[in-house]
Amino acid sequence: MAQIPNLDNSPLNLKSLSREQSQRDLVKILKDIRGKKCLVIEPKLGGSLSLIIQTSLLKEYGIELRHLSAEPVQTDCTKVVYLVPSQRDLMKFISSHVHNDISKGLQREYYIYFVPRREIQCEKILEEENVHHLMTIGEYPLYVVPLDEDVLSFELDLAYKECQVDGDTGSLWQIAKAIHKLESSFGVIPNLRAKGKASVLVADILNRMQTEEPVSSSDMAVPEINTLILIDREVDMVTPMCSQLTYEGLVDEFLRINNGSVELDSSVMGVQQEGKKMKVPLNSSDKLFKEIRDLNFEVVVQVLRQKATSMKQDYTEMTTTNQTVSELKDFVKKLNSLPEMTRHINLAQHLSKFTSKPSFLAKLDMEHTIVEASSYDICFEYIEEMIQKQEPLINVLRILILFSVTNSGLPKKHFDYLRRELLHSYGFEHMATLNNLEKAGLFKKQESKSNWLTVKRALQLVVEDTDTANPNDIAYVFSGYAPLSIRLVQHAVRSGWRPMEEILKLLPGPHTETKRGSLCEQSII
Amino acid sequence: MANVSVAAEWQLLYNRYYRKPELYPMRWKHMDLSRNKVACAPFGGPIAVIRDDSKIVQLYSESALRKLRIFTSSGALISETVWKHPGGRLIGMSWTEDQTLICIVQDGTVYRYNVHAELIEPNVSLGKECFEQNVVECMFWGNGVVCLTEGGLLFGIPDFKVMSPCQLAETGAEDLPNCMAVIEPKYTVSGNVEVLVGVGDGILIVDEDGVQRVEGEAVQGPVQKMVVSWDGKYLAIFTHDGRILVTDINFKGVLLEYNCESALPPEQLAWCGLDSVLLYWDDTPLLMVGPRGDPVHYFHDEPLVLIPECDGVRILSNTSMESLQRVPDSTVSIFKIGSTSPAALLYDALDHFDRRSAKADENLRLIRSSLPEAVEACIDAAGHEFDVSRQRTLLRAASYGQAFCSNFQRDRIQEMCKTLRVLNAVRDPEIGIPLSINQYKLLTPSVLIARLINAHRHLLALRISEYLGMNQEVVIMHWACSKITASLAIPDATLLEILLDKLRLCRGISYAAVAAHADKNGRRKLAAMLVEHEPRSSKQKRPPLEFFGMIQARPLPRDLFISYARCYKHEFLKDFFLSTGQLQEVAYLLWKESWELGKNPMATKGSPLHGPRIKLIEKAQHLFSETKEHTFESKAAEEHAKLLRIQHELEVSTKQAIFVDSSISDTIRTCIVLGNHRAAMKVKTEFKVSEKRWYWLKVFALATIRDWDALEKFSKEKRPPIGYRPFVEACVDADEKGEALKYIPKLADPRERAEAYARIGMAKEAADAASQAKDGELLGRLKLTFAQNAAASSLFDTLRDRLSFQGVS
Repeated sequence: MAQIPNLDNSPLNLKSLSREQSQRDLVKILKDIRGKKCLVIEPKLGGSLSLIIQTSLLKEYGIELRHLSAEPVQTDCTKVVYLVPSQRDLMKFISSHVHNDISKGLQREYYIYFVPRREIQCEKILEEENVHHLMTIGEYPLYVVPLDEDVLSFELDLAYKECQVDGDTGSLWQIAKAIHKLESSFGVIPNLRAKGKASVLVADILNRMQTEEPVSSSDMAVPEINTLILIDREVDMVTPMCSQLTYEGLVDEFLRINNGSVELDSSVMGVQQEGKKMKVPLNSSDKLFKEIRDLNFEVVVQVLRQKATSMKQDYTEMTTTNQTVSELKDFVKKLNSLPEMTRHINLAQHLSKFTSKPSFLAKLDMEHTIVEASSYDICFEYIEEMIQKQEPLINVLRILILFSVTNSGLPKKHFDYLRRELLHSYGFEHMATLNNLEKAGLFKKQESKSNWLTVKRALQLVVEDTDTANPNDIAYVFSGYAPLSIRLVQHAVRSGWRPMEEILKLLPGPHTETKRGSLCEQSII
Repeated sequence: MANVSVAAEWQLLYNRYYRKPELYPMRWKHMDLSRNKVACAPFGGPIAVIRDDSKIVQLYSESALRKLRIFTSSGALISETVWKHPGGRLIGMSWTEDQTLICIVQDGTVYRYNVHAELIEPNVSLGKECFEQNVVECMFWGNGVVCLTEGGLLFGIPDFKVMSPCQLAETGAEDLPNCMAVIEPKYTVSGNVEVLVGVGDGILIVDEDGVQRVEGEAVQGPVQKMVVSWDGKYLAIFTHDGRILVTDINFKGVLLEYNCESALPPEQLAWCGLDSVLLYWDDTPLLMVGPRGDPVHYFHDEPLVLIPECDGVRILSNTSMESLQRVPDSTVSIFKIGSTSPAALLYDALDHFDRRSAKADENLRLIRSSLPEAVEACIDAAGHEFDVSRQRTLLRAASYGQAFCSNFQRDRIQEMCKTLRVLNAVRDPEIGIPLSINQYKLLTPSVLIARLINAHRHLLALRISEYLGMNQEVVIMHWACSKITASLAIPDATLLEILLDKLRLCRGISYAAVAAHADKNGRRKLAAMLVEHEPRSSKQKRPPLEFFGMIQARPLPRDLFISYARCYKHEFLKDFFLSTGQLQEVAYLLWKESWELGKNPMATKGSPLHGPRIKLIEKAQHLFSETKEHTFESKAAEEHAKLLRIQHELEVSTKQAIFVDSSISDTIRTCIVLGNHRAAMKVKTEFKVSEKRWYWLKVFALATIRDWDALEKFSKEKRPPIGYRPFVEACVDADEKGEALKYIPKLADPRERAEAYARIGMAKEAADAASQAKDGELLGRLKLTFAQNAAASSLFDTLRDRLSFQGVS
């Protein structure tokens, strides 16, 4: 099965308007550079591209594929094409490659295509490194990547850090640009609701773009997208710190989903090849996955068991009684789903090894205690112990952030104590980590009383007695905690911001609600 | 009839009428054109005047220094400047298409001025030969020039936008030419400029590549003067025997011939549109010759300058500006004496209507069938009219007729009104651009607006572009830039307000462009303030702001600068932070540098390079301690430096390079694993490691080397401050049930005990402990753990039931 998700069932025509356009853009760039060439892709970007175009297809254009690293590019091609995000640190790699070639007397043509747009700062570095004049520079305007039929990604991994820590809001422009591009395909989105500083800024930029290069609304009678809701990550830092409990979520927690697929030891999938890794695509093209991806993992196990049992039953019937042709056909059809069944049963089995660990259960327990804000001391001691036991830093930080965010920071004494314990346990180089976390407001000194309890109550974030099998509330995904951001979206869709202004004020950043479209705009003049 | 007086002013040339209305009485005082060199721009453009230094003139009460003065077509002074250029006499002066004044002096230097008499740098030279041989004559066209040197060489600038001189082919003639004319590049086959040179007995065509002699009936004997028509198709020639000839540009056939009976060539020879040619001698009447019939004479008592236009000639004298043009057919049809054309009758009908005469109706009946063409003629005639009241009457006639027309394009009148309003506005003597409607159409409204803004007529330009529904951005942008240049004395904040007030008029205008201009004018702060208002976020690129203090006040550029410098220019960034007093940021940078040093393979463990690393960290520590908010960081840096020293010593004493750059906890663990308990203890005390952490570390370390005896000994040293849980965990994780069982009973909390038993698979003990804890939830969880084990699972159920009976859960 292909890793490129099947978009045929998408509510929007993402396939032709978004993905195929991106394919064409890329192919055009590569075709315009004649002859054999070596395409050097930044690895992360390569992952994104694998959702757009098959690498085998690229080879047809006479391309040798390489990943960008500090190492010089080994190739016989005289043309080297770099496809990189506009990240300043990558420019050093590229210039060192060029310098290396020059020192070896290799004469090559260099092309850099920035994704999604060129940035002065990057070019400046190339100038300083004295290689800018050797480069042909272009842009590959890949602003969104469809991850699945209902998920688009801006592929901006570092946006949060850049905005919160570095104050670099360039990514917001890219987000606005991406939405603006979508609008040119699907019409001006008439309702825009934004919450949070960055979101309001994106809304603002988006409106300016509409002024600057308006999307003509005339050729599209009804916009295909009705409402755009923008929410800052900062508004809900709680949810991503909690352990995910849906099937897909757990796969991601323990095995990491990258670009719509997960990489596993082949032994997990029942293939006996020592040490061999295999990639399993996970997207809605897989019917069974589509059905179970969002179920609570407890339920998934049951569902899979049921399916397996019923299939076994069918099989027994098949072998013991006489069947009509149409019944046979039905059975064969069901058999088609057998590989999917095996795949997910294997995966689920693998996951349950992790989920049954007492430490995992204890962690879940602790997350719930923190979210409920019921016992500060127990949580504090738990975290302290995690640090002292030198548990993996990332786990520690996640729960620490959860703790700090729900308490709007820790009292100075505790703050300094935990920081010291962290530095002692993990090393002083993490001073920078702590500094960044503090700048981003994720782990900080308490300066005001936390309003988490009020927010939790007002938005009904903790729901007792969730029925994970037949859920009637989103809280089932975290076995009792309803993600804050989802609650906001629910309200925004149902009634808009107005009825919930008071609650919104408790959360960081401003909020706006705008009506857009050709009619309203004239009133601005 | 009122019409009579109109036609009475016309002159008939063969079968065509010409009129010569006055456009303006000139506003200038005491002007004597004969004393001056004059350059008039076509399309009603400005007039440049400078005293002619090739003539001997008497100076009245004026300075001996020459002044270059620039006037509007109505004679209002726009600007003036003193002419002080070296390089000899001014030979040629002319306006380009974009209204730059080109002045060429004897030595071949080209000076350029804008309408504000400001010199446009740089000056260009026509080359060494020109410098040595002296320029004697210049032939201009709208976008270029050809110059003749004393040595008979031809040099040219084919495009004023590029300003690169070239030399044309040498004619080889011994004498200097009698006369010359230029065919613009856009009308030649080759696309290069061609020069017609009247030399000796004939005419040569010279271009960059070669010389060609002209053959044709028109060329018989020397030629004294030549001029090419504005469309580049015809040539007017004044011959040695006093005849004026018109031939087509390829010298095929003579279209006009007239004997002027003057041996002297005219001082000026000009085309009037494409229908007739004007000849001017200062002592005889102005002569207009057409293809047939008798010429027309216009008397004058002042020196004249002829300004050829596309549809006529403007005639400038000391006191007036006149326009000589062929009367348009529509006007003729209305005003010609005795005209009974439908248009004339319509015009007449309006007159009757105004006087409430029933004859109005009679007239209309007469022309009913041809009413639309009558209306059209009135509209057209109005368009060609300079007199506003006559425009109005003609338009009223048109509108009166239109009322009786069912199928007439109704917006024609409206359109004409619009055009005329624009024309009348720019013809106003205050503005002084006497455009005819044909010139206006040829020039296009956007060029007109560009000319207005160049002349700093921003308000009018804005109004016109607004009125015509054109983009006002150009106007406002130009205004803003001019305003900035002109407002050196106005403080930034005030000027910003003034600018914003106008910039807001235009949505989507690029503030960045204005900001760039401000920056160029040395107003950095204003530039930064303007950029804040840039609506096009993509253009929100900032002008080079190099001053730290300046960007410090603006969060966005500051952060951009920092993030750029962070990745590339550490030193620069340090300076910035130092200058803005952010010592802690400098400290972080230094600290980071110390890590980079650590990563450097040259700085391998145990090498003396630890010295510089520690120094950097100590410097950082010192900077942190400057502010009391960073006490924590300062202490951490101090500890880090200390740790590095201790680790260094450890590496020396153990001869193992495994300590540097591990954490304090790791160092302790490594010491214990190596069996160096003294060193571990020393690190513990040096860094005041808490008992809690110490126990975890030591227990784990002992479990790592599976030294279970030492572990047991350690557990008995004293009562462990965090109980026996670490011991249990370490043993369970190492899969040492027996060892674990040594400590599990010592766990104080029955719940912990239950879970520990469960983890090593002892269901019954787990159940006992759980029931002791009276925790129903725990029992449930344990049951799950033992799900595979039926006996155990029923055990948990029973216990749970018992619990719930007791009502404790």
